[in-house]
Amino acid sequence: MSSVAPASRPAVGKVLLVVVLAAGGFLMIVPFLWMILTSFKSLNEVNSFSWLPDRIALMNYVDALRAAPFAMYFRNSLIVVVGQTIPVLLLSTAAGYALAQLPLRGSRGILTCFIILLIVPFQVLIVPLFLVVRRIPLAGGNDILGQGGTGWLNTWAALIVPFISAPLFTFLARQFFVSLPAELADAARVDGVSEIGIFVRIMAPLATPAFVTITLFNVESAWNGFIWPLVATSSESLRPLQFGLATFAQGQGSVQWPFLMAMSALATLPMILLFVFGQRYFIAGMATSGIKG
Amino acid sequence: MTVETLERPVGAAADERPDRRRRGGVERAKARAGWLLLAPALLHSVIFIALPGLMAVYLSFTNARVAGQGTWIGLQNYVDLFADAQFLSALKRTLLYTIAVVPVAMALSLVVAVGLNQKIPGRALFRTLFYVPVVTSSVAVAAVWLWIYNPAAGLGNQVLSFFGLARSGWLTDPDVALPALMVVGVWQGLGAKMIIYLAALQSISPDLIEAATLDGASRWQTFWNVTWPGLAPVHFFVLVTSIASSFQVFDLVYVTTGGGPANATNVLTFDIFTNAFERLHIGYASAETVIMLVFVGILISLGRLSLRDREGL
Repeated sequence: MSSVAPASRPAVGKVLLVVVLAAGGFLMIVPFLWMILTSFKSLNEVNSFSWLPDRIALMNYVDALRAAPFAMYFRNSLIVVVGQTIPVLLLSTAAGYALAQLPLRGSRGILTCFIILLIVPFQVLIVPLFLVVRRIPLAGGNDILGQGGTGWLNTWAALIVPFISAPLFTFLARQFFVSLPAELADAARVDGVSEIGIFVRIMAPLATPAFVTITLFNVESAWNGFIWPLVATSSESLRPLQFGLATFAQGQGSVQWPFLMAMSALATLPMILLFVFGQRYFIAGMATSGIKG
Repeated sequence: MTVETLERPVGAAADERPDRRRRGGVERAKARAGWLLLAPALLHSVIFIALPGLMAVYLSFTNARVAGQGTWIGLQNYVDLFADAQFLSALKRTLLYTIAVVPVAMALSLVVAVGLNQKIPGRALFRTLFYVPVVTSSVAVAAVWLWIYNPAAGLGNQVLSFFGLARSGWLTDPDVALPALMVVGVWQGLGAKMIIYLAALQSISPDLIEAATLDGASRWQTFWNVTWPGLAPVHFFVLVTSIASSFQVFDLVYVTTGGGPANATNVLTFDIFTNAFERLHIGYASAETVIMLVFVGILISLGRLSLRDREGL
């Protein structure tokens, strides 16, 4: 008997641990489960509480897309995601590489500046950024001094240009490039490859994990962004998905819950899938930067 | 632009001329390429982050409105702010939200991380379940919780009545609204903290744990004497970044309550938003922003300092 006890006690502890974690994990996803279940219910089924829908109303997803211009909101979000992410990949990784591998005077100081900028919370920048975007010279009826018009307000430029590089991604890229051996670049130099060529053809391909991490982080933040589009745009045709969801959720008195849940499901699903497939990159990025939460 | 190369090797003078010239040329080419690659991102950050950041500070000393220039009014905005009951209660509410959310979320995330650090089946699945709320948009999260907190048919009241408790008005009840949002804050922030704790736990040397176990320490003793001290810098990091993000809660409030009922959920960022884009008092809102920046900036820089050694910066 006594020989069995030490072996079985950890096993019991482990079973208990799994049960507790499963309960906790269930609590974490209950809101999502209820979101999905609600999204299949008919409009008058949600007047009282029930777990399961009477019958699965798949048409909710189609009807919801028609109830508000959600299809356009989706398109707008896609434009913003792509429009931000491609330049971010170019600018931030190039800067990160330069800071990590090339002999720049004052590169340490510049890196420190990027880190300081990385600390500034976006919430702080919203009001002055609104003014900067409105004052862009020679845009939206502005003169060369940025006076007189609306600048980039209510244009795609306002949604995209302020976010085409980010100190966080420059920093992430720099941290990655620092660990690559300089000998690789030296060998290419001997072969007569240009400096830009070395970055594009030799170092950048080695930094694929950094590119993936930055892509995932930026796609997520561009897709989920809300407060800036709220402030910087006023015409419906520019507004992204999160904005559409917010407006629909605030529909005074008569929120059509199944439709709202269907759209929330469509808005969250791509990011959840992205995370599930890119887990290790998300986690590596989180570990280096410590952002969020 | 003349960019001098970095430290020249001491023996450089002994080199033959052509070789030295070639090396100098390479160094110059490197520096040129470096500036070329760095310039776009640097310029962009200056225009869209550094400039607005400085503007926020400048504007806070003016009475600027959305239209037209403001004039310099010195510290008047700050003086007014500290006599403004709405601002003060927003600040107090933000602190309350932070004090309630951060310790609870930290404790829960540590417990989950320690659990997930054991060899158990389904670890990856559990990690995903706990992390999913972090990657979902806070607007969608807010929409779902708005429905959960629906007084008539929501899941929240169903849970209450399951436990035999009285139904609640949730977000429509001024006494319950803020605590209800705190629950969402804990739920959404748990995963991010858990991942940081998990990474830290995995970096604690298993040898130390094994040594303690061989010395006859119980699991509990091992945790308190080996694991807990090893987590010290991470605790601090998680603490300050969590405080900083609690200070910035906005989307959730905007979508679910719009600061109500009766201002019960009017937190700092929401107050800033209202002052700037509804009352159009840009200068006044900027002063509020600067106060937030001071709070958050100090906290985050402390957090980063604490991790400096780990990241080898």
